[in-house]
Amino acid sequence: MRRRAGVGAIQKQKLEQEKYKDKSNEIQENQFEQMFRQLEFFKTNLEEFSTKHKNEIRKNVDFRRQFQEMCASIGVDPLSSGKGFWSVLGIGDFYYELAIQIIEVCLATNDKNGGLISLEELRVRLIRARGKRKEHQDISKDDLLRAAQKLKIFGSGFNIIPYGKGNYMVQSVPGELNMDHSAILTLASSSNRLHVSVSYLNKELNWEPKRSQTVLDNLVNQGLAWVDLQDTYEPLYYFPSLLNEHINSAVNLEKY
Amino acid sequence: MGEVDIEWPWQYNFPPFFTLQPNPETRAKQVQAWKTLILDYCKRSKLYVLDVREAGNIALFHNSNINRKLDQSVIVSLLSELQKSGHANPIDKLKHRWEIYWHTLEEWSSMIYNYIQARGLQNSVLTLYELAHGDDVQDQEFFEIQNEVLIKVLQVLEKDRKCELILTDEDQGVKFF
Repeated sequence: MRRRAGVGAIQKQKLEQEKYKDKSNEIQENQFEQMFRQLEFFKTNLEEFSTKHKNEIRKNVDFRRQFQEMCASIGVDPLSSGKGFWSVLGIGDFYYELAIQIIEVCLATNDKNGGLISLEELRVRLIRARGKRKEHQDISKDDLLRAAQKLKIFGSGFNIIPYGKGNYMVQSVPGELNMDHSAILTLASSSNRLHVSVSYLNKELNWEPKRSQTVLDNLVNQGLAWVDLQDTYEPLYYFPSLLNEHINSAVNLEKY
Repeated sequence: MGEVDIEWPWQYNFPPFFTLQPNPETRAKQVQAWKTLILDYCKRSKLYVLDVREAGNIALFHNSNINRKLDQSVIVSLLSELQKSGHANPIDKLKHRWEIYWHTLEEWSSMIYNYIQARGLQNSVLTLYELAHGDDVQDQEFFEIQNEVLIKVLQVLEKDRKCELILTDEDQGVKFF
């Protein structure tokens, strides 16, 4: 006859379990402590690194890019918070400052371009506004993109629109620009004629006239395109934000 | 109209600038740019009177480089806008001919009165010709101001009892107080 499990056995089992638990807690605590120490170590090193290289971060374009790449590869975003311990690097501050300046330039040029500005024009104007010292001048497109992307958290009022090959527009007014819009911008900027028309879109993109007209009207309604009705054949649509001459002449006339 | 020494704004070479824009926001920017350009152009070329019917002959409204011109009805509405701020006034009822004041009549009047005070010419009588074309005023901004405009300017001063106009068939003069 099989003996039934006695109270003693159960208690023994319980005791064993408790012991295991204690041990695991102990191990966990050890691990925690070790990890904590490692983090602490990492942090001091990082701080040391940052104090040593703070100026470098502000001044050196390549350095910033490499640092960003390094962070990306280990999965941290040094810009995600101003409070986390990444803030000791001061790299966030650099980009926040840049973001504010981007907003300023966008606002200053809004009355001309309707709130759409090419990254290159933005860069030219921003650099002019920043002052003459070399470290103020060394702002790469990469820096601008990172800073501008941070502005997206303000909602749809701020957007980066890729067009063409490696080109970007920064949009500082609310409104949705879809693929059709950026296709038109790409076409207009690459064709060097700064304007498009229904027939031209039909020829280049094979769009139905109705589709083209809708998109073009939409761009006009958003204040991003201007209509020219004096062409003999059809209305032409222009984009002041793509006007290079305008960049130069306006830069000469104003502070920005 | 000869060549005018003016630095054209970027809009002047931007073809759609010569088409009134349908989008209200864009149009507001466009109208503002036109108003500034009209006054600037008239100031530089010392143009006191614009005839809308001849607009096609004026470089201001006709950019032959890009083959674009501004429609007459648009010009009239721009000038009417300028009228609201005291910078233009139609001469005839059909609104064909317009006086353009790149300085408002009030601005002109205080400019002239300041000159009179600086020269101590109160209580003396000047002919309008002297005031506008005399050797002494060559470096003044109102040098060669158009006679009709000058009279309107002086009438502003007259209202303030700062001068009295003497207008007869032979003589046109003014006495300042």
